[in-house]
Amino acid sequence: MKRHQPHSNPYSFVNSILLGLVTVLLCYVMLVLPASAAETDDEGCLMCHKYPMMGRITDEGVLRSYYVIPHVFNKTVHRNVPCRDCHTYIKKLPHDPVETGVTCSTECHSIKNPATGKPFSHKTIVSAYSESVHGRGKNAKGGDADKPYCITCHTNPINNPHEDLPPKQITDRCVLCHEKRSFVNQWYSHTSRRIKEVRRTPEQIIELCSSCHGNKEMVDRHLTLAKQEGRELGRKFAFAVDSYKDSFHGKLTAKGFTKTANCLDCHADYDNYYKSVHEIRPSRDPKSPVSPERKVETCQRCHTFADENYAAIDPHPTSHADDNLFRHWAEKIYNIVGEVVIVALVAMSLFETWGRRRDGVGWRLKHGSSWWRKSKRGRDRVV
Amino acid sequence: MKLSTEARDILETSMRQNKVSNADRAQIEEAVAAMPDDRVLLYKNVVSNPVGDLYRYSVHIRIQHMLTFVTFLTLAFTGLPIHFFETFWSGPLNSMLGGVSVTRIIHRTIAVVMIFSMVYHVLTISLGTVWRIRAGTFDIRRTILPLWKDIRDFKGDMAYFAGKRDQRPEMDKFNYKQKIHYFAAAFGNLVMVVSGTAFLFPEFWARILPAAIASHWQELMRLSHPHEALLALLVIAFWHWYNVHLAPGRFPMQWTFLTGKITREHQIEEHFLEYLRNLVEVPEERKELIDMLESRELVPDADAEPATT
Repeated sequence: MKRHQPHSNPYSFVNSILLGLVTVLLCYVMLVLPASAAETDDEGCLMCHKYPMMGRITDEGVLRSYYVIPHVFNKTVHRNVPCRDCHTYIKKLPHDPVETGVTCSTECHSIKNPATGKPFSHKTIVSAYSESVHGRGKNAKGGDADKPYCITCHTNPINNPHEDLPPKQITDRCVLCHEKRSFVNQWYSHTSRRIKEVRRTPEQIIELCSSCHGNKEMVDRHLTLAKQEGRELGRKFAFAVDSYKDSFHGKLTAKGFTKTANCLDCHADYDNYYKSVHEIRPSRDPKSPVSPERKVETCQRCHTFADENYAAIDPHPTSHADDNLFRHWAEKIYNIVGEVVIVALVAMSLFETWGRRRDGVGWRLKHGSSWWRKSKRGRDRVV
Repeated sequence: MKLSTEARDILETSMRQNKVSNADRAQIEEAVAAMPDDRVLLYKNVVSNPVGDLYRYSVHIRIQHMLTFVTFLTLAFTGLPIHFFETFWSGPLNSMLGGVSVTRIIHRTIAVVMIFSMVYHVLTISLGTVWRIRAGTFDIRRTILPLWKDIRDFKGDMAYFAGKRDQRPEMDKFNYKQKIHYFAAAFGNLVMVVSGTAFLFPEFWARILPAAIASHWQELMRLSHPHEALLALLVIAFWHWYNVHLAPGRFPMQWTFLTGKITREHQIEEHFLEYLRNLVEVPEERKELIDMLESRELVPDADAEPATT
């Protein structure tokens, strides 16, 4: 009888492969990753901020993470800005607790504006924003704290697949003179991204504005504050988002049409869209595109034949009694009339059926007549 | 049958307008006399062809009905998923039509066909009326125009259904239900067209209206379009289709919209005055009626006292 020979351990080969892979991975983590991180950390910030658990819980109980992921940061638009160009208050390591935080109007000392040679800064746009109805300081308190600061809207997209791989057939030509491919790639990405249409889509704009103007708690808080302070708010402030969504423009946008007015199309100027979206003003300000003084001109951007009568049409219609009494009652009357009519007609039909059935009508015409059933009123068809 | 004053007047008017000969007049009177005084017995005992016996609608009216029928349903089918865009059922409907952009184009295109149908209808009835006036055959009681009699008919019908009256009223070619329906549809169509133009041409309406009402007008029109559409759809579904499809005696459907003809029993039951005109205008009907009644031994005894209706 043939006996089975004992086999050697069948997993020993697989184990050795796995062990090899783990070793290679560990070497990569220990040697390669720190090296690439170290390349972008001339100021030594990553000594502490490379740790995922780096953070604290604020007095308000909010967990704030101070973790910086080097390879992610290296793909942001601020990748070339040294940390302390923005975090100017850091004078020593380890640094003192941060009180003020970063403001976007700070001048970068390491990055020069290529057009002027001066330190680069977002001062111009920050000052336009500061004068708008949304303007606030970085560390604003009270009602102003609800207003959007730069990073509320500018979330600094970190992954734009179009930027990952500039077309080689173009950059090949650039490197002939500019030599360094990494420079060429970065320059290409920077420029091409700004040439492309980088506005939010209408749906994204509405979503962005709704994040505050559609937040009932926030809106109520501001209504109360304005009342206490004797400030005037826009007539539609309390229901700006709902009324827009009910409007003709809102419905078209919801259906995916891009050539219909979203929030910024009316509330921001068209002159320089990228600047004017930072300068939104209340409708009572004559400079606002939706102020009575400028409303016709704003409507005419799309509705060429719009006149004053047209501009008087409510673009945020609601049926709230305190906002639009006419529409409130028109809708109410429509609903009542509709319900009464349907109930009355159905009742009349049922009554008629009952009355005629009692007199002997059948559902179908049989042998030339529908009246073949026996009548309860004593007049039957002669058979 | 001894005719009521009203019925006699209709009959005499019809005979005068149709310039009937003495021989025809005698035949008509014979047919009238052969009818039992109880109209219920009359319509219960006549023989009817389900697809219709007596001419009622011209080919123009049938084409217009068909156009209205097709355009109305298509407009509802395309308009509702546009208005109720965010509901769960509108997505598949819009997708089936090629997306909401296509649905909107279909909606507007069919609206143009519906407007054409309206114009065609107004022309037909206007020119038909002019032709009848010139021919001396016009009788306002035979038209769709509402008359005080319709209110009497409504009350009489309700009393009959409640068992408080033994006869339905003697109604004309168009009874009160049809008149309500017709004017509701006409008004509804007008509202839909006008409010539709307010969606398409808001600048035009703002320009021609006084500033004080331009905004209210636009709001009213934007409310009216979906509300009126929904109301019309419910009226069609619950009332019109009930009356022409589901009502006893009409099930599974009246063929009038295709054949242009109405059944004899229906004509006598709900349009008795028009049936009297049929006796004047359709000579064969007189003999057919007499034969039917004689075969069922329903011809009243000439010496008997007439029953009151």
